[in-house]
Amino acid sequence: MTARQPRFNQEVLIDTTPLPDDIPKVKEVGASSAPLMSASFFIGARCKSYNDDYMMCKHEANGRGELDCMREGRKVTRCAASVLEDINKHCIEQFRGHWKCLERNNQQMWNCRGPEIQLNKCVFDNIGLEKVIPGTPKDTIPIHLRDKQVFANPWRAYPVKRGQMPTLEEARTRAQEQAQPQQS
Amino acid sequence: MPQDMPPAGGYEPVQYKRNLPVRGFRPGWYVVGVAGIMTYGFYWYAKGIREQHEIAREKVWSRIYIMPLLQAEEDRDQVRRYLADRAREKELLGKETSPYNSDRFVRPWFAATPKDHTK
Repeated sequence: MTARQPRFNQEVLIDTTPLPDDIPKVKEVGASSAPLMSASFFIGARCKSYNDDYMMCKHEANGRGELDCMREGRKVTRCAASVLEDINKHCIEQFRGHWKCLERNNQQMWNCRGPEIQLNKCVFDNIGLEKVIPGTPKDTIPIHLRDKQVFANPWRAYPVKRGQMPTLEEARTRAQEQAQPQQS
Repeated sequence: MPQDMPPAGGYEPVQYKRNLPVRGFRPGWYVVGVAGIMTYGFYWYAKGIREQHEIAREKVWSRIYIMPLLQAEEDRDQVRRYLADRAREKELLGKETSPYNSDRFVRPWFAATPKDHTK
């Protein structure tokens, strides 16, 4: 049983025995790839410490991470689920718009800037999570804040009016603000 | 007998130069034009490369941010199967044995399947 489920010619055999009762239950996230990709930066913004904690635990567990880091893993899942729940509560339309755009466009984020701008704005206003791409060069505008791009199809990527994009100064100041914590 | 002499006043000059009109600009301008086109192209090329780097960075970080989530789910599933295997083994054999000389978690390579599912 490696990464594939054992598959036979008559049926798929899956062991359905639940976890023992002494291990706390956690509901799996259950989102598919496009919604997860759409929400990934917000998950990262809120759950970074949990994520790092889990990966660090697995790194230091000396090969027993699967068994020893279940507690941290549950925290990771619960945190991500809370982000998705908040987004679903406050920004369901923008969220749906963005991940459906991702589904249609080969899951390329650069082809879905228009819906993404609306989603980012809604999430920042209502939930307070902001999309930050670590490692972006300091003197450039982050890719998701540019109002003009080489690759994106302008009709598909920017169905919003130009006025809804941040202006250059806003984008620059935001880029500088984003670059600040990485120096320290 | 009279000799065949040149005409009086000498021969006319031989036209060995072609008298074609010169087309187009001076050659230097073509060099300048090509250089201009190349510069324009390389400008957009470099711009595109830098943008692609940023796009790749965005994609990678979106994946990095959800990787612990996916890993946690997968690990939980593996542990569930592992514990179920152990319980089944204990029930059937009455003891728990391990083929490995370590206490690391090893993803099972073989799946125990019911005897008469495939015929």
